Amino acid sequence: MGAFVALAGVTVLPFVELRPNRLVPGNAYSVAAAGPWAYLLWLLVAVGFLSAVAPTARARAASSTASGYGLVIALAWGLGAASTALLVDQTAVARVSLGSGVWVLLAGTAILGFSGGEERRRKLLRWAGPLVLVAGAVIAAFVWGGLDRISLAREFSVRASSFWSLLGGHLAMSGAGLGFGLLLGVPLGLWATRNRHVRAVTLGVTGVIQTVPSLALLGLLIAPLAALGVAVPLLRDLGVRGIGAAPGLIALTLYALLPIVRNTYVGLAEVEPAVIDAGRGMGMSSWQLLWRVEFPLALPLIVEGVRTAAVLLIGITTLTVFAGARNLGILIFEGLGQFAPDLILLGALPVIALAVIADVALSALGRAFTPEGVRA
Amino acid sequence: MIRLEDITRRYGDETAVDSLSLEIAEGEVCVLIGPSGCGKTTTLRMINRLIEPTSGHIFVDDRDILSLPAEELRRGLGYVIQSIGLFPHLTVAGNICVVPRLLGWEKSRMVDRVDELLKLVGLDPNAYRDKYPRQLSGGEAQRVGVARALAADPPVLLMDEPFGAVDPLNRERLQSEFARIQRELKKTVIFVTHDIDEAIRLADKIAIMRDGKLQQFDTPEEVLNHPANKFVHDFVGADRALKRLVRVRVEDVMRSPATVLDGADLLTLQVGAGRRRFAYVVEPDGRLIGWVDTLGLDEGSVPEAALTRVVPADASVRPDDSLRDALSRMLGLGFRSIAVTDRNDVLLGEVTFAAVEDAMTEGDEHISNLPPEGAA
Repeated sequence: MGAFVALAGVTVLPFVELRPNRLVPGNAYSVAAAGPWAYLLWLLVAVGFLSAVAPTARARAASSTASGYGLVIALAWGLGAASTALLVDQTAVARVSLGSGVWVLLAGTAILGFSGGEERRRKLLRWAGPLVLVAGAVIAAFVWGGLDRISLAREFSVRASSFWSLLGGHLAMSGAGLGFGLLLGVPLGLWATRNRHVRAVTLGVTGVIQTVPSLALLGLLIAPLAALGVAVPLLRDLGVRGIGAAPGLIALTLYALLPIVRNTYVGLAEVEPAVIDAGRGMGMSSWQLLWRVEFPLALPLIVEGVRTAAVLLIGITTLTVFAGARNLGILIFEGLGQFAPDLILLGALPVIALAVIADVALSALGRAFTPEGVRA
Repeated sequence: MIRLEDITRRYGDETAVDSLSLEIAEGEVCVLIGPSGCGKTTTLRMINRLIEPTSGHIFVDDRDILSLPAEELRRGLGYVIQSIGLFPHLTVAGNICVVPRLLGWEKSRMVDRVDELLKLVGLDPNAYRDKYPRQLSGGEAQRVGVARALAADPPVLLMDEPFGAVDPLNRERLQSEFARIQRELKKTVIFVTHDIDEAIRLADKIAIMRDGKLQQFDTPEEVLNHPANKFVHDFVGADRALKRLVRVRVEDVMRSPATVLDGADLLTLQVGAGRRRFAYVVEPDGRLIGWVDTLGLDEGSVPEAALTRVVPADASVRPDDSLRDALSRMLGLGFRSIAVTDRNDVLLGEVTFAAVEDAMTEGDEHISNLPPEGAA
């Protein structure tokens, strides 16, 4: 499956596109532009096909893994070689952009890499080793392989200084929204288990918030926050204005609430009544019961809610740019405004990466927080 | 030890418990019994203040239970419930140590206590200490539940249908083990059940309740022989005579049997067995082999032909079995007497059908004095 996708990526679809400058369309080139690297790519796709026909499960896993990791490395060096070759005799503003074949090839590679076995993902050490190797080879392609000549890298080098601050701003914004969401959501979820009316209101309201489109919510927040900032100068000095971080942060916090409140509530409510009764009957106070019994049992579900919220917020954070916040969303919307596809990618790719990292890390955290006695 | 004075609990217009007064002496097992909704569980839960009485007073050790904080009170009253309520995230040892931990025991003391208690409830400490509740069968979990309630050596045990959720075979085993533990520990026990056989078997005193009111509070023998009213009479059931047998232990009515040694010759047999038709045949060390019917012993017949060999475990009872067990064995085997052996199959005595009959009819003379059915 993965090998077929990869094959389509290296044969049918364009590998790179040579454009006179960063904004206008140009001519597509096939994988042959990568010179000798093209043969390696072909070879690795062939290895990927082996994974479908190899006799033993071990051999199948080995070939799909080897081809998956190998393709990433060969792709990085191939792209570098192609852009180096194509940019000879071109003006300084000419650009080499990634063709659709590269994305399809990457998708096939991902399928090959992950089909190598669920087992390997659990053993972090065995997984991390090859990953470091691949990352090293890709970085080497930047330094020595000419990968820094492709358009995406050029967009980055132009904005290198603001990129990192935008990435930092993105992390800070998503992180702060998540933090406030936790600070508010966990107590609200807890309160909902103790009081029927609170339960109806909190679950209802957070559910409704989730249905409000993010841009609309930001727009709705700007006017009242601007008014508040004008009315209370102290708040304005603290950053509460119609435009800036405040409306975005409030919107993110509100979006984080639903998954966190709901999972906290469900996690606590699912603790068996007999367990609570036994705990109370043995003389545990409400606090002892909460800390020693209810929270440990609900924690995996709460972390799961945090994971959902984190992935959601990292994406929505890009939209807070419209209310004046500064983060990776700026690159995306500037790119859209200029019709510069590589600038859009420069903003979007790190956002996707952050979301994936948050997802994987919080899943692992959730597993770590699951008490041994209740592990499936 | 425990005194309930005029306890009433109302829920709106419903009266769950209606001016109930009880006095339970130290070291006694008091069984609260009645149809569902009679207020027995409510009564139990008022003793450890999981439910507060609407009016009336409860004294434990002559102290009004309202005079100390609820948590402190509960740590001194072991609590076992039908659904057990083991903490799923703690090991067996962790569960047993809940109350000791609340009381701030030393770690080494807790470790010793866990092993001691597991042995007491018949579980091998090495095999069970580190197991999690989900790895236990229903019977094992309930043993751990009892061990947990006994952990801090409370003088009082409150048990709410503790064996209600286990299968009949395991329930009988748990009941006899509870009886053994109770003979050893002499706790003051309040035990709620709806099973009259369980009540008669385990109780020193039975409190029969109906619609929140106490119907009769007396020893099982008195309840069986002198039911206070039609309700108690009907509740106990028509087979009072059989139930009475549960209260009598085999060792109380067994007599010494006629025995002969294995391999003794026929003349000795006839002399030895003498006045009785049957004689038990034993090994020199006293272990039961079977019996001979002296009618089958004619001059010149082979002793082997008259000897009936038995498997002692199937054809005998133990001294601490009840007379009902003995009767059911006799009926099952079709004999008019049955051997009593110890754990090593050594013959201790025999119980005859006549002895069972005597125990059954004892105290039956009152029955003619009861008001006729339907007259109440």
